[in-house]
Amino acid sequence: MQSSFDLQYIIELMPILLKYLGVTMEMALWGFLFALILSLSLALIRVFKIAVIQHFAALFISFFRGTPLLVQLFILYYGLPQFMPIFIGMDAFTAAVIGLSLHFSAYMAESIRAAILGIDKSQMEACLSLGMTRLQAMKRIILPQASRVATPSLMNYFIDMIKSTSLAFTLGVAEIMAKAQMEASSSFKFFESFLAVALIYWAVVLIFTRLQHLLERRLNKAY
Amino acid sequence: MNTFFKKSLIVFTAIASLLTLPAFAQETVKVGMSGRYFPFTFSKLDKLQGFEVDLWNEIAERSDYKVEFVTSSFSGLFGMLEAGHIDTISNQITMTEARLAQYAFTSPYVVDGVQVVVRRGRDDINGIEDLKGKKVAVNLGSNFEQVLRRFDVNNEINIITYDSGLEQDVALGRMDAFVMDRVSSTQLIQKSGLPLQLAGQPFETIENGMPFLNKPSQIVIRDQVNKVLAEMQADGKLAEISNTWFGSDITQ
Repeated sequence: MQSSFDLQYIIELMPILLKYLGVTMEMALWGFLFALILSLSLALIRVFKIAVIQHFAALFISFFRGTPLLVQLFILYYGLPQFMPIFIGMDAFTAAVIGLSLHFSAYMAESIRAAILGIDKSQMEACLSLGMTRLQAMKRIILPQASRVATPSLMNYFIDMIKSTSLAFTLGVAEIMAKAQMEASSSFKFFESFLAVALIYWAVVLIFTRLQHLLERRLNKAY
Repeated sequence: MNTFFKKSLIVFTAIASLLTLPAFAQETVKVGMSGRYFPFTFSKLDKLQGFEVDLWNEIAERSDYKVEFVTSSFSGLFGMLEAGHIDTISNQITMTEARLAQYAFTSPYVVDGVQVVVRRGRDDINGIEDLKGKKVAVNLGSNFEQVLRRFDVNNEINIITYDSGLEQDVALGRMDAFVMDRVSSTQLIQKSGLPLQLAGQPFETIENGMPFLNKPSQIVIRDQVNKVLAEMQADGKLAEISNTWFGSDITQ
């Protein structure tokens, strides 16, 4: 018996899945916010070559780029509580957000660092000759320009992060992928369920791609 | 930039305080399940239901505990138990020797056998002896993998582990067979409408229970659950729940 494609089922499933899109987006947005803060700090530490800490930053980036996100999530949620009981209180959502931000901050730090290094160093020298401190120069002159360069690749990571939230089901977060899998397990309509969830991810990514174009146009106004 | 810094500091503090919330509210038992094991635990139209769900709602009714269901992929459930994120797993956990050594189990609440399932029309596989040289699917983290390996001393079976969807791959012909317990195999074939059939008689008896951590605080809960289970066995409620989902009593 070959089962036939059931469009009706997809239409029924959509509103159920969309209810959980909020959880997915919340994870991605929190994750991205923290990743942005963390990656900017990491990038600055490496650009300024701050003694001792820069080696920790390099180690951090190496570890979180060098191991799979799923492994990091498992260490965080299943591993650490065995040694540090304080982590038992951490719920799965929080663990997923922390895991996503640590993982992506490692990648984003390198993008931001590259964007900063891409600004001609004569600009920094000019700032210093005007009496600015290095931090002031970074804040007023370098970072605004670097952010324009870094935006496309950072948005790329954000889109990747939205999709990576689907791993959170392995920690028990009830997000849209989890719901799609659970519904599929009782309806046995695997193709329809996963197609529905794929269409939702795709639509969300299209929206953010559009926003990215608008943002880039604004940042490029001065050029 | 300064206000941005302040805002992010507030957000960070908010998250940090979330981290330090107490792990469990009193009197609530967190029951882990996959939500993907029809008809034991599954979701339909966004409602978590099944044999395990009915069972625990009844346990809650008869005891002082409130029940909170936590769904996670099956392979993550034991990790959650070990890490203290849940109190027990209600997902047809077979009481293997290794697990019995590690956990405090309730008394068995389902008795079953191990079953080989193949694509409909295949007559070359009629039991575990015929699996040599075949590709056989089992669920990741389930004990059926060990059952097969114990039998397969010469490593002649190509065992492949799945996180989900193994029935689909057998129906498609990508796998020669899957191995699961008889009760859920029968259900799966009936409800899915997939072209599958039971291959031969079940082998080995399996007893399923719910594991708790071997700690005094958890054993208290385990003992309470055991008491309620015995009551339910005695007054026929357990058999009744089984009948709703399976049309037969799989609990003894």
